[in-house]
Amino acid sequence: MSVEQIESLIDLSSTFLMVAFLVYNLSFIVFGIAVLGKRWSNRDPQSHERRWGTIGLIIAIVGFLSQAAFAGLRWAANGHIPVSNLYEFLTFFGMMVVLAFIIIYAIYRKPLTGLFAMPLAVVIVAYGAVFPNAVKPLIPQLQSIWLYIHVTLAALGEAFLAVGFAAGLMYLLRTVDFRDKSVSGRRKIRGVEVTLFSLITLISFIAIIFIFRGAGYHAEFTQTVIEIDQTTKQEVEVEHTVEYTLPPIFKPHNSVTVEMQSFLGMEEPLLEAPSWLNGVNAGRKLNTIVWSLALGLVLYGLLRLILRRPLGAAVSPIMDGIDEQDLDEISYRAIAIGYPIFTLGALIFASIWAHQAWGRFWAFDPKETWALITWFFYTAYLHLRLSRGWQGEKSAWMSVIGFLIIMFTLIGVNLVIAGLHSYAGV
Amino acid sequence: MLKNTKCECGHQNPVGTVLCEACGLPVHPEDVQSDKPLEMRYEGAARRSQKSNPNILDRVWNFFSSVKVAVYLIIITLICSIIGTLLPQVNVIPSNDPASYYATEYGWIGELYYALGLADTFGTWWYKGLVLMIAASLIICSLDRIIPLYRALSKQQAVKHETFLRRQKVLYTGDVANAEAWLGEMEAAAKGRRYRVTREGNALLAEKNRFSRWGPYINHIGLIILLAALLTRGIPGWYMEQGIALKEGQTGPINGTSYYLENIQFTEVKEVGPHISGQELQFAFETEAVLYRCIDNCHNPLSEPILEEVKQHTIKPNEPLVHEGYSIYQIDYSFEPQLTAITFDIGAEGRSLGEIKIELADPAFFYPVGDLTFELSGYYPDLTNVNGEPATKSRQPNNPAFIFDVQRADGVEESYFVVPLEQFQTRLKGSGDAEVLQFEIADMDASRYSSYMLVRVERALPYILAGALIFLFGVVLGLYWQHRRIWVRIDGDQLIVAAHTNKNWYGIREELAKLLRKTGIETDAKSLDNNGVTKK
Repeated sequence: MSVEQIESLIDLSSTFLMVAFLVYNLSFIVFGIAVLGKRWSNRDPQSHERRWGTIGLIIAIVGFLSQAAFAGLRWAANGHIPVSNLYEFLTFFGMMVVLAFIIIYAIYRKPLTGLFAMPLAVVIVAYGAVFPNAVKPLIPQLQSIWLYIHVTLAALGEAFLAVGFAAGLMYLLRTVDFRDKSVSGRRKIRGVEVTLFSLITLISFIAIIFIFRGAGYHAEFTQTVIEIDQTTKQEVEVEHTVEYTLPPIFKPHNSVTVEMQSFLGMEEPLLEAPSWLNGVNAGRKLNTIVWSLALGLVLYGLLRLILRRPLGAAVSPIMDGIDEQDLDEISYRAIAIGYPIFTLGALIFASIWAHQAWGRFWAFDPKETWALITWFFYTAYLHLRLSRGWQGEKSAWMSVIGFLIIMFTLIGVNLVIAGLHSYAGV
Repeated sequence: MLKNTKCECGHQNPVGTVLCEACGLPVHPEDVQSDKPLEMRYEGAARRSQKSNPNILDRVWNFFSSVKVAVYLIIITLICSIIGTLLPQVNVIPSNDPASYYATEYGWIGELYYALGLADTFGTWWYKGLVLMIAASLIICSLDRIIPLYRALSKQQAVKHETFLRRQKVLYTGDVANAEAWLGEMEAAAKGRRYRVTREGNALLAEKNRFSRWGPYINHIGLIILLAALLTRGIPGWYMEQGIALKEGQTGPINGTSYYLENIQFTEVKEVGPHISGQELQFAFETEAVLYRCIDNCHNPLSEPILEEVKQHTIKPNEPLVHEGYSIYQIDYSFEPQLTAITFDIGAEGRSLGEIKIELADPAFFYPVGDLTFELSGYYPDLTNVNGEPATKSRQPNNPAFIFDVQRADGVEESYFVVPLEQFQTRLKGSGDAEVLQFEIADMDASRYSSYMLVRVERALPYILAGALIFLFGVVLGLYWQHRRIWVRIDGDQLIVAAHTNKNWYGIREELAKLLRKTGIETDAKSLDNNGVTKK
């Protein structure tokens, strides 16, 4: 294939991803109609929910197929399954969340699940699109059939655990009493608000990246870093070029501005990253985090001002009339399906591959360790639920924390902790 | 004080029993009075950990037999694992001096991290201790429960006490006109859904998927096998790991074995991927290697070992050379060009007399060319000048120099000093009338790469894998099937149907509602939920 052909395939695949993304949003809206429209006049709530739920499911399946076409075309273009960098992996993970949702829906037929699982998939796919989408050949360590088995199974297992989180969060919104003024009541309300705020911050992060990418914002710095030369063992000063796509609130530590577009009259960076954040990309990461948190706080604050009550309290009326035990059951069942798939894909097959590629099946590489941490956590979840009777609220909280651990394992480890799995280069 | 453990049905229960082994009535009088759902774990059977008057061994047993303790151990290990990922561990840092590395890279936090031993979290005694404690918990938890559970499940009787039935979480009560006919219908319906049915008078017990109760124990056994397999690394010969670095063309021993490995050629392919202009990406790297077994003169520094070829293989990432438990992996490489051999063309008065090839790593002493014999009497791999005398700086052939003693057929002896890379030669000794020999470089061999490989033996691997798969089998067995039981008791025209499952209550309520429908009783699955309230 010529470069032109590859590029046109990639363009075509991106179109399919865009279509999938929009269709997922549509599916989310239809599930919203299915759940909220039950109370509209002149209709039988049950048949309304069933009909719109089926439409929502069909749309979700169309979106899934469109994204499968994206993955297939990209596969054809780059010659390997598209799960080898954060862009490819996260979009794939989003697709697996949709698949897990479709399977769970087939079992329980609760349109409400779609109201939470579909936006989760939307956010994950959009998050993936933040990362560079360049096509690259696979590095030698990844050239193995195990890439296909290990990564896809791990993603599918984690997707089921994510659907467990969506149902768990629904359970909390359904059951937490937002008028409860007692200490434990306030703590629960705060917990729900923190969870929702985190999701809003994640959405802010995605939005801010796309807004400034669309506006073509650019700033560039030259950062001087002191490194120890590996051969001479002497300290040397090395200059790095650091590029920003967000207006620099923080510039890199010990750096000089090469070029900076002005932003709202801001001509120079406001602050400098502290000295302990002296890694090459640390300043940029700090800047991105500050932007996301700031926008997240603004959005959250605005929503609170408009709604005049905690977000959870505003959302929870949607849940009225939903059987909370069903939600508990769906959350548990999704986790029960996800746990063995995760164990097989993220630990057992991972070890087999590590044995083949690196010559050892387990070496406490950060990504491996975090997969083990995830496994420990859900092992504790199952013990507490099945043996100690932690059902309902406690197990819903655990599903929320579990999802946090999964997201850290998938993304945090790549971005914060370096290691053998940091292929993404972001 | 001895507690009375004899049930009103006449059955003598062991100490620690919660529910009578025969009729299911709670053993303790205060439990009988309560109207809460019965605690059905382990069938209410007595476990070893509930023994009275525990001695020290019993106390240790009791500690590890607790699920609560097991969960604490898991959570503590989880937290320790997180701590172990905060900073890079010693095995991956690019420094031989970890103490100063952590201090300079991470400041006082790094110093503290290293001082606390967290730089090697997963190798510390306390981390290993935690894993061992989890292993102990796995073994003791399983033994403590599996035996009483097996006994309780294998001697069930259909007739249960009314209290036992009324305090199950799934309950239906009603009237039935013809007990015998109804029980017949129920039996047929239950068998239709793959239940095994036992009847005793006007009582019935339907049971299915009992095997799912063994799921947790099977998965624990899998984990125990896995952990035990890790311990086999201590057995001599079961675990070995060493690095081996070979230049192109070099053959080196694999220490501690009779094997030698040769790096014939190393290849690195760089390719430019589509989309990325000019960016070179490493696309593949591999070592063409030959594995030899030494059959004689092994480990003898004075003579060459005699090698026999075992296997030829191109080692690359994901494709190790595997031979009889030994696996050899391509780990890394470095680009360091180095001369390995020089071939001289010997000339005299414009005529070529022949060629001699000198292996720089281990040169031979004598080289015959036509009727001449060259003896290598001096070799300086890295030439330098010490007090006017030639000497060598190192053993690396960076600038080799040679002294050749030449023996002619007519007995004339000469001596030449040759520095090929400086294109310098001089006759040190010999008569002036014989023609001067010319040492021209005809060819040079060089190794461009050093290939770093890892040799490993890991005999435990199949057992680890087996343990993991047994674990998975147990998990699936325990999670996707449920042990369901339905008890029926008819006293006069009063019908009591109770059901129990080890998980998925939603499922058993639906199933019981279907069964009842087949016997002519219309009921809503939800209404079977006897959640905490005893229906009279």
